[in-house]
Amino acid sequence: MIALGIVAIILGGTVAFAFASVRRLPQDPAQLVIGGRSLGTIFLWFLLAGEVYTSFTFLGAAGWAYGQGAPAFYILAYGTCGYIFGYFLLPALWRRAKLRGYLTGPDLFADHFQSRTLGLITGIVQSVAVIPYITLQLTALTILFSIAGYGSINVTLAATVAFFLIAIFVFNVGLRGAAWASIVKDIIVLGAILFAGIAIPVQFFGSPAAMFDRLIATHAPMFTFKDWTSTHGLLWYISTVLLTGSSFFMGPHSIAATFSANSENTLRRNAIFLPFYQIVLLLAFFAGFAALLIVPGLTGTSVDQSFVLVVQHNYPPWVVGFIASAGVLCALIPASALLLASGSVVARNVVGTFVAYSPGKFNETLAIRISILVMALLSLVMWWTVKATLVTYLLLTYNAWAQLLPGYICALRFPRVGAWAVGSGMLVGLAIAVYTLWHTLGIAGINPGFVALAANIATVSLVTLVTQKKEPAVQSTTS
Amino acid sequence: MVYSWRFVLPSIPVVMLTLAIPLVNRIEPRIFGIPFLAGWIAIWVLLTPLFLYALYRVEKQP
Repeated sequence: MIALGIVAIILGGTVAFAFASVRRLPQDPAQLVIGGRSLGTIFLWFLLAGEVYTSFTFLGAAGWAYGQGAPAFYILAYGTCGYIFGYFLLPALWRRAKLRGYLTGPDLFADHFQSRTLGLITGIVQSVAVIPYITLQLTALTILFSIAGYGSINVTLAATVAFFLIAIFVFNVGLRGAAWASIVKDIIVLGAILFAGIAIPVQFFGSPAAMFDRLIATHAPMFTFKDWTSTHGLLWYISTVLLTGSSFFMGPHSIAATFSANSENTLRRNAIFLPFYQIVLLLAFFAGFAALLIVPGLTGTSVDQSFVLVVQHNYPPWVVGFIASAGVLCALIPASALLLASGSVVARNVVGTFVAYSPGKFNETLAIRISILVMALLSLVMWWTVKATLVTYLLLTYNAWAQLLPGYICALRFPRVGAWAVGSGMLVGLAIAVYTLWHTLGIAGINPGFVALAANIATVSLVTLVTQKKEPAVQSTTS
Repeated sequence: MVYSWRFVLPSIPVVMLTLAIPLVNRIEPRIFGIPFLAGWIAIWVLLTPLFLYALYRVEKQP
């Protein structure tokens, strides 16, 4: 009960701190969703780090290191490539959003391409793809609650209660509240990961280097890629890093965080300094590798529990509570950002396509707040009814979001590309992404999302060329 | 001139983290005890801010 008590105190304390730090509850949509475009460099750094490093980072990276070895290193590389790509994309995106008053990504699609239908489609894609990502966080919560409760409590109920707490929290405080909570989260996570990645190897093996000596003696093949074309071979690694790196900021929560910056340079400085935070992932790998020697033999989805099991078996309850709290915050703070961003997309770009909000009693701010609760409820229902492993969910989410990338780039750099080209490219890409959930493409291990994005880009180019010849005047859309 | 730097500077870490990986797919020599492949990726992750900062400075010049 000590461990669970610590989790409850840290979670409650984080929410209370964030509530107290937000001086005035947001009253208009821009305040609620993007913090009134007012976040400075450091505040935005905490928010972005708070959103990007989810429970998948914490449990999944260690789990991949434990179960896969070298392929896990893609997690370290893709975020870094994502920041490099973001250095170019985000300032241009922010400038356009500020000029035209966008609050969500689909706002740009609807306005730039002069197509409410395209805004609706992108809105649906963004918000539907959020649900597997949130359910992933809920699954992580149950793992952490079962570790902290030593199997004594109903974990589904505990995760549901904690998730609803965070939904109500973000319903009230909006983006600035999530950013304040991220500060606490990032600090606690840093402490927990230093413990798991450095202290555990030092205590059990003398040093991380000595741990690798033992691992190389017994598990040498896992530290390199086996070949070019197998399931997790070199081609898989390269295509996955390029795909997930280029679409790193495509999630609705990342777009909202981008729009919340107070200037273009704030975004550039964040792209410069965020790669340093990636080193946290190296420590998560260390923790996973240590677990491989200490608790060998885990298979399937239980590899995600690897290093938390080490902590549970070898350390006193207060340490377990602290580690579990870090994990719980990693699940709940990003979940709050996801709920807020997807709620705003549902209210503005899905429902808002059919309903005109008035400044009266049922205004847009209220509609966004209600949508946040609806998204929370939908995620819970999906989670109760559909069960799958952590990574399957995440791949679908990323591959669906990635299909929006050509639209953003065309809107910012290629003004002659029209709604039909972007729309058809997106649908082709989505069709391939969904198809590959059940059927393998089997092209030399290349990531199916990469194939989907390539087909998307090819379709956009083709449709643009064909339609341009017929009636070039139509292509000059406003921007 | 500024345009070519805008292309080269960010491309270096991306290439080192993707296309160069087949060339460094090995365990020895170890870097601070870490197998070479993992150490190579970690080093380029840590070098990336330097490349982006250099780009930031190049862009700032009139």
